[in-house]
Amino acid sequence: MADDDDCPPLAVELPPQANFPPAPASSSNSISAPVGVTVITGYLGAGKSTLVNYILSAQHGKRIAVILNEFGEEIGVERAMINEGQGGALVEEWVELANGCVCCTVKHSLVQALEQLVQSKERMDHILLETTGLADPAPLVSILWLDDQLESSIRLDSIITVIDAKNFRQQIDEHTNSSSFPEAFHQIAFADVVILNKIDLVKDDLEDLERKIHDVNALVTVVRSVRCQVDLNTIFDRQAYGVKNSSQLQELLEYSKSVPPNSRHDSSISTLCISEQDSVDLAKVESWLEDLLWEKKSNMDIYRCKGVLHIHNSNQLHTLQAVREVYEVVPAREWSDKQSRMNKIVFIGRDLDISILQDSFSRCKH
Amino acid sequence: MEKGASEPSPLDCARCGKPASLQCPKCAQLKLPREAAAFCSQDCFKAAWASHKSVHTKLDALTSQLSLEGWKYCLKKGRTRTLELPRFDWTGPLRPFPISKMRLVPDEIEKPDWALDGIPKIEPDSDLQKRVEIKTPEQIERMRETCRIAREVLDAGARIIKPGITTDEIDRVIHEETIARGGYPSPLNYHFFPKSCCTSVNEVICHGIPDARKLEDGDIVNVDVTVYYKGVHGDLNDTYFVGNVDEASKQLVRVTYECLEKAIAIVKPGVRFREVGEIISRHASMSGLSVVKSYCGHGIGELFHCAPNIPHYSRNKAVGIMKAGQTFTIEPMINTGIWRDRLWPDEWTAVTADGKRSAQFEHTLLVTETGVEVLTARLPSSPDVYPWLKPSSATSK
Repeated sequence: MADDDDCPPLAVELPPQANFPPAPASSSNSISAPVGVTVITGYLGAGKSTLVNYILSAQHGKRIAVILNEFGEEIGVERAMINEGQGGALVEEWVELANGCVCCTVKHSLVQALEQLVQSKERMDHILLETTGLADPAPLVSILWLDDQLESSIRLDSIITVIDAKNFRQQIDEHTNSSSFPEAFHQIAFADVVILNKIDLVKDDLEDLERKIHDVNALVTVVRSVRCQVDLNTIFDRQAYGVKNSSQLQELLEYSKSVPPNSRHDSSISTLCISEQDSVDLAKVESWLEDLLWEKKSNMDIYRCKGVLHIHNSNQLHTLQAVREVYEVVPAREWSDKQSRMNKIVFIGRDLDISILQDSFSRCKH
Repeated sequence: MEKGASEPSPLDCARCGKPASLQCPKCAQLKLPREAAAFCSQDCFKAAWASHKSVHTKLDALTSQLSLEGWKYCLKKGRTRTLELPRFDWTGPLRPFPISKMRLVPDEIEKPDWALDGIPKIEPDSDLQKRVEIKTPEQIERMRETCRIAREVLDAGARIIKPGITTDEIDRVIHEETIARGGYPSPLNYHFFPKSCCTSVNEVICHGIPDARKLEDGDIVNVDVTVYYKGVHGDLNDTYFVGNVDEASKQLVRVTYECLEKAIAIVKPGVRFREVGEIISRHASMSGLSVVKSYCGHGIGELFHCAPNIPHYSRNKAVGIMKAGQTFTIEPMINTGIWRDRLWPDEWTAVTADGKRSAQFEHTLLVTETGVEVLTARLPSSPDVYPWLKPSSATSK
């Protein structure tokens, strides 16, 4: 074994440098903007696949990966298939999600897999996560809605649900006299964008359908389509979970729809808005929110929450965003002099009671 | 480190520094670091041979002995082994060494459900991943006992630490001390983890796998022990000095210790879990150190890892408020350099992205009506290894 000779052997050629597992892009000096992830929900037949196929085939010049996941009851499956559209060419790839061991890691294996995907490609403009009949996107949101501190190469951009207009009409009619609500309402409640598809089959009813959608979720953007042919700029880069989205802040500040006259006391999903002129105390607001979202001290089932806050002793307009228990209150920008400062919070959920919400919030006043 | 799939920077001749196109065949065969094996010409190589060849004998003897005994490198979280050192752009000086065969646990010892096939079944689907359990007095009593055992086991491992000892030997002590007390070493076969504890040296942040590498004078090493006894887990870790360490390392370890101490000081009913990260982050950055963000504290009890998730960095969205009867760990990992981490080819070992050192401390805690009880606290018999601690103080953390 030890040919401990004083005579050196002949040196051999250095092989061409092989590819190591690449250092993640995040360790380089230039940190590129995180890639947006859009979650697409909706039921079979609503046109989800049509939407995905349209996105992949349209000549938009963007490089988009589509992850197909069979979530079923759980999130964290073993494999996902990736389609990349490059002006027509579809490439299939398999991405293996890290095998379990959520143990003491902050990032879920799905997040790690998406980050690996982004880092392994030279360019990635957007990622679509198509879910199959996912009943409640909230757990997925809490996985993807990462803390800014993590400086991840991905960020949750928005949740889009595809609604089949004809089917939706039918569901609404079926449930009119019952205490239950159409399943589609649940999807709408958590969505940032609703694609109302197959409108060619429901010609004269669209405004009513849209109203019903906004009754459930006043903040959602409704996009009408036939065969899911939508303007892709309405789909991508919505920044729905970013703090600085100024158009959304504007929307919130201007939101003034009063409680609908037929405000039901059934268990339907609805949107409510509360407002308060005076400044509020940040610590009180956080406790108030936590009583509602964490301690669940009321009978209300709050799905989502979005608002603008006028915090005492701050020149910064603060935004509030919550998806079930996960919430965040952060300073967004300076109040402009032209704007009158105020608090406005929109709630989406079940069994919402505006007087409870309004009264308890007013106790947060400074 | 260069970005993406591009090649590593070209190698220079180990003797004269000119661009290299040749390598020592023996080094290639032994998979030794390329930087020391590259040469620009046969002449340079010949000239360097006399001093260069000593590199082979060191590793040659070690690897041939080890591979005879069945020691191999770990891959794929422990599901496979390989005879050759894996390829990787190592971030610091440390390298993996081959690991010994998997240790056995006597039949009569109660085992968690991953002991046989490496796959936890109850844990991933449990409701306890979504809500934080309030332990019953009976469960709390069991946890006290198990955590005390875990502390005794860790202390036993710590006592053998010195230059020349391998991390595998530490693992052997941990393993034997655990089963001698009737416990199961929880890490063993947890998601295929091949050993009974984690040993994290220098730039390793956590989940280092005990192997054939000898500890060197000046190293720091963290030993992370979890014991499963009477149906509950107890989890703790400490970072130790090997021989004489430099001032920077002493400072790193001390600040990390203080980060945990300060975090524990705020634990009581009504405190938000997300506050822990604020405390740790504040203290670390005041000392010019960074906080690892990829790994967090966790709930513990009948499950090894469950809710809550407790990040150690600031401005996190952790959900929940501490309540009496909850048990969880806090385990800050603090780095000398940047906070980012990378994973080794074994898919367990987390290292700092810049190769600089990292330290960690961990306790299992119980929230009481008025504050906190440190279940894995140091005992009067615990080795006195920290200059900043008064020896034999029963209440010291």
